[in-house]
Amino acid sequence: MAQVFDRSSNALVRFSLVLTGLIVISLGVALDQLQRSPWVTRQGQRPDQPVPFSHKHHVEGLGLQCQYCHTQVEKAAYAGIPPTKTCINCHAQIWTNAALLEPVRQSWATGASIQWIRVHDLPDYVYFNHDIHVNKGIGCASCHGRVDEMPLMYQQNTLQMEWCLNCHRNPGVNLRPVSEIYNMSWAGPSTDKPVWCSSTVKGGATAQNVSCTTTNPGANGPEVAMLENGPHGPGRTESADLGPLMGVAIPASYQKFTSQAELGKYLTAQYHIRTPNELSSCETCHR
Amino acid sequence: MKTIGNATTGNNLMGTGTDDTMADTKAQAGQPVVVTQIAKAKLTLAQVQAKLDGQTGKRFWKNLDELADTPEFHELMAEEFPRQSMGGSGEWVDAVSRRGFLKVMGASLALAGLAGCTKQPDEPIYPYIKQPEDLVLGKPMYFATAYPFPTGAIPVLVKSDAFRPIKVDGNPEHPMAKGKSDAMTQATLLDMYDPDRSQHVIYRGQNSDWGKFQSEFATAVKKTSGGQGVYFLSETITSPTLAAQWKQVQAAYPQAKLVQWEPVNQDSSRAASKAAFGSYVDAQYKLDEADVIVSLDADFLGGIGHPGFLPLAAAYSEGHRYEAGKGMNRLYVVESMPTVTGFKAEHRLGLKPSEIAQFATALANGSSVTLSNPDAQKFLTALLADLKKNGGKCVVIPGEQASPAVHAAAYALNSSLGNVGKTVVYTDTVNPMPSEQVADLKALVADMNAGKVQWLVMLGVNPMYTAPADLEFATAFEKVPVTAHLGTHLDETGSLSTWHINKTHYLESWSDARAYDGTISIIQPMIDPLYGGKSSHDVLQTLLDDPQKSAYDAVQATAKTYISGDFATGWRKALHDGWVEGTAFAAKTVGTPKAMTSAAAAATSTGGLEIAFRPDPSLYDGRFANVGWLQELPKQVTSLSWDNAALMSFRTQETLKLDENGKAEIELNGRKVVVPVLVVPGHPDNVITVYLGHGRRVEAGRVGAGVGFNAYTLRTADSPLYADGAKITKLDGTYDLCVTKVHNIEHRGAFAQHDLEKPLSDKEGTYSLAGHEAMERSIIRYATLEEVKKNPDFAHEGASGTLVNKVGYGPQGETPKKDESFFPDAWNYEKQDASSLQMQNAWGMSIDLNSCIGCNACIVSCYAENNIPVVGREQVKVGRNMQWLRIDTYFEGDLDAPKAHFQPMACQHCENAGCEQVCPVGATVHTPEGLNTMVYNRCVGTRYCSNNCPYKVRRFNFLLYSDYDTESLKFMRNPDVTVRSRGVMEKCSYCVQRIESAKITADKENRAIRDGDIVTACQQACPTNAIVFGNINDKASKVAKRKAEERDYPVLADLNFRPRTTYTAGVINPNPELA
Repeated sequence: MAQVFDRSSNALVRFSLVLTGLIVISLGVALDQLQRSPWVTRQGQRPDQPVPFSHKHHVEGLGLQCQYCHTQVEKAAYAGIPPTKTCINCHAQIWTNAALLEPVRQSWATGASIQWIRVHDLPDYVYFNHDIHVNKGIGCASCHGRVDEMPLMYQQNTLQMEWCLNCHRNPGVNLRPVSEIYNMSWAGPSTDKPVWCSSTVKGGATAQNVSCTTTNPGANGPEVAMLENGPHGPGRTESADLGPLMGVAIPASYQKFTSQAELGKYLTAQYHIRTPNELSSCETCHR
Repeated sequence: MKTIGNATTGNNLMGTGTDDTMADTKAQAGQPVVVTQIAKAKLTLAQVQAKLDGQTGKRFWKNLDELADTPEFHELMAEEFPRQSMGGSGEWVDAVSRRGFLKVMGASLALAGLAGCTKQPDEPIYPYIKQPEDLVLGKPMYFATAYPFPTGAIPVLVKSDAFRPIKVDGNPEHPMAKGKSDAMTQATLLDMYDPDRSQHVIYRGQNSDWGKFQSEFATAVKKTSGGQGVYFLSETITSPTLAAQWKQVQAAYPQAKLVQWEPVNQDSSRAASKAAFGSYVDAQYKLDEADVIVSLDADFLGGIGHPGFLPLAAAYSEGHRYEAGKGMNRLYVVESMPTVTGFKAEHRLGLKPSEIAQFATALANGSSVTLSNPDAQKFLTALLADLKKNGGKCVVIPGEQASPAVHAAAYALNSSLGNVGKTVVYTDTVNPMPSEQVADLKALVADMNAGKVQWLVMLGVNPMYTAPADLEFATAFEKVPVTAHLGTHLDETGSLSTWHINKTHYLESWSDARAYDGTISIIQPMIDPLYGGKSSHDVLQTLLDDPQKSAYDAVQATAKTYISGDFATGWRKALHDGWVEGTAFAAKTVGTPKAMTSAAAAATSTGGLEIAFRPDPSLYDGRFANVGWLQELPKQVTSLSWDNAALMSFRTQETLKLDENGKAEIELNGRKVVVPVLVVPGHPDNVITVYLGHGRRVEAGRVGAGVGFNAYTLRTADSPLYADGAKITKLDGTYDLCVTKVHNIEHRGAFAQHDLEKPLSDKEGTYSLAGHEAMERSIIRYATLEEVKKNPDFAHEGASGTLVNKVGYGPQGETPKKDESFFPDAWNYEKQDASSLQMQNAWGMSIDLNSCIGCNACIVSCYAENNIPVVGREQVKVGRNMQWLRIDTYFEGDLDAPKAHFQPMACQHCENAGCEQVCPVGATVHTPEGLNTMVYNRCVGTRYCSNNCPYKVRRFNFLLYSDYDTESLKFMRNPDVTVRSRGVMEKCSYCVQRIESAKITADKENRAIRDGDIVTACQQACPTNAIVFGNINDKASKVAKRKAEERDYPVLADLNFRPRTTYTAGVINPNPELA
């Protein structure tokens, strides 16, 4: 009786074994890639909003401060979406007939909310908190990207857990002086553009703990630095016993940073950023 | 709330057929799908007596099945998942459906992989048009108001998230409540969001509107001569504004009548105080100055059903707290149905309700008694001696459900012992219009029958359900031409009334009310009425000159009479603080109480079977029947959930030849009701106690309908408290009661069973697994005051109530020392925190067993805080109730007169937690601060963790218990806590959301978390400060101080799990003469 399978089928079997392995692996890789793809994460997608609101125009063009609309970003977990009133503050005066703004006027007239579509949509089991990030030196742009250069809002980062953990495991890479939180173009210190920081009085809120400047406090003389920042940084003025001569000592306490790594390390200590072990513990974000 | 019903076919996998009402579920109970049977031991008295005979040592036990040590119980223990395996193959009854399940499961697993890749749907944002100025979204706000309850308002502080009330707690600034609350007040939150609330004004079954009612009502009343034939039937009034409005109505229509009616009322004290002092008075007790407290059937530690529960419980526990050099109070309780008050007492005497009056009278007269309980005389003599020794420093508290004779005796005793003005003060009544309600209702029904009533306006009452059966209220009701019903639900009465007006909840409306001490609180709305709705104020206002005047205006008008100083300022302050200064009652001089008339004193027992009617410890008079949290809450003492029963003593059950859990029929004066039978340890013989508030009809709503039996059908106007001459006969069949007692012994397996079979020290007598362990493994530890003075370290060295060092377990039930471990460096939480350069935080809890009164407030608070689902009767029966916190009741000693110990048991947050080691997916992990956290998203539902947990505190979502659909319930949820889905394990998190929020606040301010920044939900609710939470590494913190006490002990410490929750051993102060 003739063989059902001749010898050549051995090769076929070997090949199909390899092929099966390859298929399994590629399927895995494909699923993995799919999971990380913008199709799932919505990274970079610009959903159809009722009003094509341009952050670029309002922030870069007009110079509105972030907090003008996102009022509670320093106070609460949510940054806050502005009520229609905030739009109307200006648009009762300018562009009052613009077709684009019809939904805003509708909302104002009828009392129905403008229905935005959430761009940065974390899963419901993630308890993200804006205020602690902003108060501890994570700038808006670190997560949201250059919002001032976005004509239409989109999600800059994946917002996946690995992305969160990248920073929670090493927060130093993204820390900046609290005074620079809303600075969209903050690039961190470099040898060309160093940053000088000085620790101020201990205690009080985080924002008052460190005073930083991008201009050399020694170059223009200590008095200028004093004028710029006050003896103890912005917001602290009670220094009745400090004569002007005391200010001379201040440049000495300024430390010069030429890399983000150094600055991050310094701010981690100054701001009492919790350890990576604590920051990456589950209960930090999930309850 | 939703109950999970029965899956009917194989393709309906996981049994998620959801039935809307309990009634439906019950109707289907015949279908053998969800296993609801617990093999019940059929006990005989002889068996138990034989077990108990010759027994001298201390014995703990938890329920009677265990006590009997029956083969059935052993069978139960042999199964890994006893209740789920009983009756065959569990949830999947026949092999076909199981196979079908596996098939579908395979398919859905494949789909599950893909499901993980699907995108989330677009989520819309609806911003405000004009955002309220003081609103910060995500930051809760707190508003003070008060919960009006017939026994006095409970001042509360409501947590509001974006103007939705999400938690009701005690008002910390109120002089009486001091931030404490109770189970019922906590549960009023769910009552407000109840999806079954009435939503419309209804006229003859058709939707109508308020304006029509107003015009019709006002016109009709105007036509009468001075209000002739207009009757109001109101709930007990504690609102000065409502009283003022009624006065105005009366001025305009002098013939109109108002009757107040509550099925559970204060008639006894009203009648007695009128007889003794000539006018109605309320008594206030100052327990902080009492060394000896006597309760005559007063369950003052049970809940707000007893007036002044909050201050009484707080003062009692403070007086009962042990501290070296500080005296301790002593509590005597004479009662019929065992209550938590009775079990907290040093000495408890169980008597029939009729005998309590005899006992009280004898106590007042100093005479002797011969009662059915042979210990009565000895008890009386010792008690009297103790009282006389402590004249002026003792107090006698009569229960509101005790007869007037008991109150009269208490007046006489407090007067003769010199307590008046010291531990007792008499004041005006909290109710501005006190009355004897049963007599008034009787008169009203007589008028109705006589055709005198043209308009019957019922304000917040449900007489169709609650009126005494012999009044035949329904018949009289039909004779009234027009009836109007104001109620939050279209209930038994509302559905039959001509008009039904949907009532606002107290969280939605303006009003005011007096608390126990007389302090007035303004009730302010927390939310716009969900369904429109009107209050009693609006109804009464309809008849006045300005019918559109709002409740707000009415309250302000009255408030001008009691707010002194500048009104605008005073009003704002009253709203902010939650109470009005200077409105507390002053003591009233009442003189010596007149001796009671012989008729009242001569209440004697005929010796027949008595039946006592008691408000349900959870549902009160039935008003909370549709509140799932309270239905599911295991009742104090009995641990009944979703049921009431004919509660009786072992001997009575035996004499009457009834089966526990069997059906029986009670007959009283020709009225019959079918009841289940449940034995309660410590219950007096020849009495049956029944709880009111159950057996609501379908109108009650999806939760309350058809739960239990309606005891009101037996109750008569002449004997509303207890009745003589009841008959009970056994019926065929079992009732299948829902009792949660045995759930925590699940999954214990062979180890514990071996212990039961081969005890090391407890060699004779009764074995009850949990009880045995409680003793042998020192789960419960206590000592007498004498002992603790001799040996303060008794919790670790032994005392009469503490057995240590006797068992071959580990090193004698104590925490193994670190150097005894192979890993001496493990579980070290005394490290420096690198971020702050200070000692790290380590969260821990301490529970004082001396203070815990078993009142259940903590459990309901936990429900609200942690979005815990209600699972329904069928699921509770198979042990799937989801409460993160339970209160274990350990009975001790004699069946007739047991002691009991309450032990709140939640996740112990073990440092070396067994659950973490067995989780295959790392879903339960340890945080750097020592919390044992659940990561719901990782959990795949193996339940290994629960198996390995010695405390049995993990709860598993067998089915989709959380209600994802009902809109009103979504408003209620705590936004900071995940709503758990099917298939995940959950457990106490130490309120991690509160910890994180405190951490964020502290981190922003660059400071350490201060002691007291974090208060867990259970701790916040606890009326006796039994629970303390904090940082155990901070040696100055309250919790660290408690843990440093000698009486502090961990439960099952020998396992080396190193629990973070520890307990403070109890100290009792028994009278040596009665010991």
